[in-house]
Amino acid sequence: MLEVRDVTKSYDGRAVVNSVSFEVQPGEIFALLGPNGAGKTTLIRMITDILKPDSGSIMLGGSPVGGDQRALVSYLPEERGVYKRARLVDVLAYFGELKGMKSPDARATAMRLLEKVELAGHAQKQVQTLSKGMQQKVQLCTALIGDPRLLILDEPFTGLDPINVQLFERVLQERRAAGTTILLSTHQMNKVEQLCDRALMINRGHMVLYGSVREIRRRHSGHAVVVSGGAVPDGVPGVSRVAKVNEGHLLTLEPTATPEGVLRALLERGMSLRSFALDEPPLEDIFVKVVTEGLGLDRGQSGPPTVDELMASGSAR
Amino acid sequence: MSFSLARGMIIARREYLSTIRRKAFVFSLLLTPMVFGLVTAIQVLTASDEAKQALKIGSIAVVDSAGLLGSAPRKFETEVLNKDDATRRLKAKAEPKRVPTTIEFFPDQVSALAALKSGRVSQVLVVPPDYLARGQLRRFKLSNNLFSSSDERAVGRWLARSLVANAVDSVRADRASRPLSGIQLFTPTKSGEYELHDESRELIDFFVPFGMGLLLSIAIVTGGQYLLQGVSEEKESRILESLLCTVTSEELMFGKLVGLGGAGLTLVAAWTLMGSYFVAPLAMAGKFHMSPLLLAFGVLYFMLGYLFYASLMTGIGAIATNLREANQMAILFTFANFVPFYMLPKIIGHPDSGLAVALSLFPLTAPTSMLMRLAATDVGVPAWQIGASLALLAGAAWLAVVISARVFRIGLLMYGKSPTLPEIIRWARQG
Repeated sequence: MLEVRDVTKSYDGRAVVNSVSFEVQPGEIFALLGPNGAGKTTLIRMITDILKPDSGSIMLGGSPVGGDQRALVSYLPEERGVYKRARLVDVLAYFGELKGMKSPDARATAMRLLEKVELAGHAQKQVQTLSKGMQQKVQLCTALIGDPRLLILDEPFTGLDPINVQLFERVLQERRAAGTTILLSTHQMNKVEQLCDRALMINRGHMVLYGSVREIRRRHSGHAVVVSGGAVPDGVPGVSRVAKVNEGHLLTLEPTATPEGVLRALLERGMSLRSFALDEPPLEDIFVKVVTEGLGLDRGQSGPPTVDELMASGSAR
Repeated sequence: MSFSLARGMIIARREYLSTIRRKAFVFSLLLTPMVFGLVTAIQVLTASDEAKQALKIGSIAVVDSAGLLGSAPRKFETEVLNKDDATRRLKAKAEPKRVPTTIEFFPDQVSALAALKSGRVSQVLVVPPDYLARGQLRRFKLSNNLFSSSDERAVGRWLARSLVANAVDSVRADRASRPLSGIQLFTPTKSGEYELHDESRELIDFFVPFGMGLLLSIAIVTGGQYLLQGVSEEKESRILESLLCTVTSEELMFGKLVGLGGAGLTLVAAWTLMGSYFVAPLAMAGKFHMSPLLLAFGVLYFMLGYLFYASLMTGIGAIATNLREANQMAILFTFANFVPFYMLPKIIGHPDSGLAVALSLFPLTAPTSMLMRLAATDVGVPAWQIGASLALLAGAAWLAVVISARVFRIGLLMYGKSPTLPEIIRWARQG
């Protein structure tokens, strides 16, 4: 669906986005991660054709972005606003018409979207009369109208209460089910783990992580398992160290040991197990580690991963 | 991306409708002419009333120390026009009201001033012994304002008639007091033939160029203000990034120029219509006509001038961080637009002067200045000057559109910090 190839963008001789390449498959929710100032917004602006890359290409459905492709893309930026004095239905219909819808269709779709986000009763009100959370739902609707093929959302959950977060999640899942590709930029790593299939992380303009969320977590696991239940028996084969952790015990495995072998050994020794899980660090820990330790440090000081390496890992879903 | 006129027009329609539906627009539409009309009416009526009151002299105490006024008439009449005389005078010679003034002689200045103080007379005229040699008179009045000397002409006529009363017959004395009252001025037409100069046209000859220039300036300022406001408000509202994903910056700029500019033009057009209702009788009475060529040039200068200024305002709106800053930046251009009005006597009085030519060639002042010159000369400006002025203005407008579009695209995404001049130049170059 979306194919970004070796894209670079510089300001005043400084590369803000440096040789970034990735693909987003149709119907997947793809996370774009990175610390503040990493180059995410610049990358998104290039995908939406607001900015032009210095080099590289960005293709959408096999054609360069911009042009007629523009109608297929919607973007909800982090710094967002909406026409405060306009009525809800008018705002949405306006965006719908700009996406190529006929005026009556745009208004009908606007009403359906407002119903979906539980704002139909406010359709004729001015936006400025709504609460901040309600306005945020209107903003989401401006991105949804026109049935975009690629939906780019930058921090969509910020400022929402848990009920509206669930509503947003439900809408996104429905869109994914309908075949919409979603590019989600967020710092809420739990949402990435919960919603996203794959992720790309950039830091200082470079790609530093790329692949399926599960694979990224697995790659950063410490070759250990976390168990809970009864006491951990002594001398379990394949276990080099046992440490107490909040949720039970962390069992560090010997290099040649496998989680399956250790599980078998624990059961053979009569341990009553309530849970057994691979010690995969949460994405947030991986994020912090990659950012604080710097480019490539998590790869043994070998420098940032090459684009080819990252592309190879990204395609291994 | 290819420019989509359809998307541009959707933006234009929204900008236009959302602007004209605002309360501020409606207030501006109705209240501005009302306030303007009210202030003008108060000024005119007050001034006319003051002047009229000044002509109702009542009685004058005369101290004839020179002994020249022994045969002077003891009363004279002053013509005072009615309130709506301006229109009436043009339609037909309205009969003015005749107000009598009486003359009372006093032996000395002291007694005359006492009469003035007591209210017996409204003013004192002292003719010194050496008046014939030196021509100096003394006049005493209790009021001291702008209109204190409004009655001088009436007093002067009485004095002139009185001075010759003994020497000539009454007819000559009358004529000597008003020697130019029946003068007919003949001026050449375009074909070179002399025709009677129509006084009522003088007013129109002044107001046509002045009015056309004023209309253009008001349209530029009003439309420009809407553009400044619209662009900077939208920038502040942070909605632009969502929009720019869907439309190009060129389409957005086009929509704003047409929509917000159109709202400004609507305002000016409505004011013009309202104004026409009151001015039409005056224009008809003055046999007002506007040549089609002047009208065509008017429209051309109007469009080019408007495009030029509107593009500048759009660019300024895009680079400013808020409306206040945008207004500060725009004031220089707004001022430039009004420069021809400071030079009004020179441009209308001497439309071929170097200053008038220079102002009508310089793009920032060309629309207003050239319109004034064309109207003042009945399209008698040399063709090369019109051509050069239009070419320069069109070039400047094109440049303004191109640069503003480039600056607009980048400036819209900059928040919180205004770009420096080198940055703006770089954006304009990079596009």
